[in-house]
Amino acid sequence: MNVRIEALAEATYVTPEGRLDFDAAPGFQESLERLLGAGGKAPAALIIDGAALEYVSSAGLRAVLLGARAAQKAGVPFALCALQPAVREVFNLSGFSRIIAVHPDRATALAQAQPGRA
Amino acid sequence: MPAAAEPLQSATEAAGGRVHALANLLLSRGPYARAFENLILGLIIFSVASIGVESIPGLPPWVLQTLHVAEIVTVAIFTFEYLLRIVAAPNKLGFIFSYQGLIDLLAIAPFYLTGLDVRWVRALRLLRLLRVLKLQTHILESVVEQRTRELAEKNAELEKAQAQLKAELEVARSLQLAILPATFPTRPGCEGAARMIPATTMGGDFYDYIELPDGQVGLVIADVSGHGVPAAFFMAVARTNLRELAIRHTDPGECLAQTNDALCAQNPLDLFVTVFYCILEPQTGVLRYANGGHNPPYVRRATGAVESLSGAGGLVLGAMPGATYPTHTMQLLRGDRLVLYTDGVTEAFNPAAELYGAQRLADEVHVHGSGTPAALVERICQSVTNFAGTAPQSDDITLTVLTWGAP
Repeated sequence: MNVRIEALAEATYVTPEGRLDFDAAPGFQESLERLLGAGGKAPAALIIDGAALEYVSSAGLRAVLLGARAAQKAGVPFALCALQPAVREVFNLSGFSRIIAVHPDRATALAQAQPGRA
Repeated sequence: MPAAAEPLQSATEAAGGRVHALANLLLSRGPYARAFENLILGLIIFSVASIGVESIPGLPPWVLQTLHVAEIVTVAIFTFEYLLRIVAAPNKLGFIFSYQGLIDLLAIAPFYLTGLDVRWVRALRLLRLLRVLKLQTHILESVVEQRTRELAEKNAELEKAQAQLKAELEVARSLQLAILPATFPTRPGCEGAARMIPATTMGGDFYDYIELPDGQVGLVIADVSGHGVPAAFFMAVARTNLRELAIRHTDPGECLAQTNDALCAQNPLDLFVTVFYCILEPQTGVLRYANGGHNPPYVRRATGAVESLSGAGGLVLGAMPGATYPTHTMQLLRGDRLVLYTDGVTEAFNPAAELYGAQRLADEVHVHGSGTPAALVERICQSVTNFAGTAPQSDDITLTVLTWGAP
């Protein structure tokens, strides 16, 4: 899967495109870890933009969860936004939307950015 | 006199054997062969160079004499090598008349052909240059041959290791399938059936029937995140924990909360599992359930109406300690069917990358749900398999159907 990354001053936006499944999850997780990893300057906030995300499997959920945990460890606010209805349903059903902030759009996600609880 | 002839014959044979052994030692593989090859190569270069040196006019006689002695030694060694190659060759005439054999012969022949014009001999001796080329080819071939052999050996090793791994995975897979209960506990008026179609890799789906105090029966359906060996292990851990805790905590929500905490405490790979857990009271049809991030099961009423058990759930198990799970209660009516499934059913893809989806499942349950649980399980599996067609099955497909109060 392709992952678009926009590193802006106020936040880094990560836009996964297509299916976040068992095959794509490790690469996606790596992208998040690289953004949060030692060396570079930590982003002001890490916001996953789900506009182009068509499908999330349980392995994909795990990658998001681990990203949220790594962000929390690094003290970086972490949020999801603009999820398509089917993906949003997966986050609701799995209970992940209770431990990871999910917002309707980037603006709201940015305005409410606070360190994650996952 | 046969008595005398015999030892003689065996002595000849023994000598022949020794020559063969020597040929093998010097011409095939190994450190001796390599050393011998290098010696020949060195001598060829030396003898070619000496042709050039000899042609320098006005050399002192001792130089010419030394070169002549060296020539004798060189040709002796070449002759020895040539004869050895003939001995070693399976088809001796073939070797003698082969391109290489002829070059070898021409390289030594001038020495034995006395009385020839000296310049012509020198021209012939230049043929030794061809031998250099021949030896290079020979060395190159032997290197390629050796690499090919090494590669073949490595491939064989890999294949063996892979076969072993596959066999072990097969065993693990059958162990995994073996811990799934084969039959629903016998309760009057209750009938259950289940099926799991494993994905090609090891998955982490499971279902379970747990016999609880007072004749109650616990029903579990669960799906571990990801697949492969880690998921299979986590599945075994989750199942064991849930089973043990279910006996002690007869409230489904409390049981899931306890299981979640237990899993969080022993989860080095950060896996998690979605679990739907319900407890049926067979006498009354009262169903208490809690949901840890799993697809809500369906209830097919005896009227044919299909409802989803969508009471609020909690977080998947293993993700965060301290999560809570509300318990909901519903009354089953005579002839109702409970359909538990994993997302391998609803998220089966067809070759056009479309999802099977919850609606197709609900339709199948609605239309074909009035028969036995086994028939419905079979029907749904068939429907999913038909839908997926040639698309590979990426996730376990697990289903369990229970009827209550069946006549």
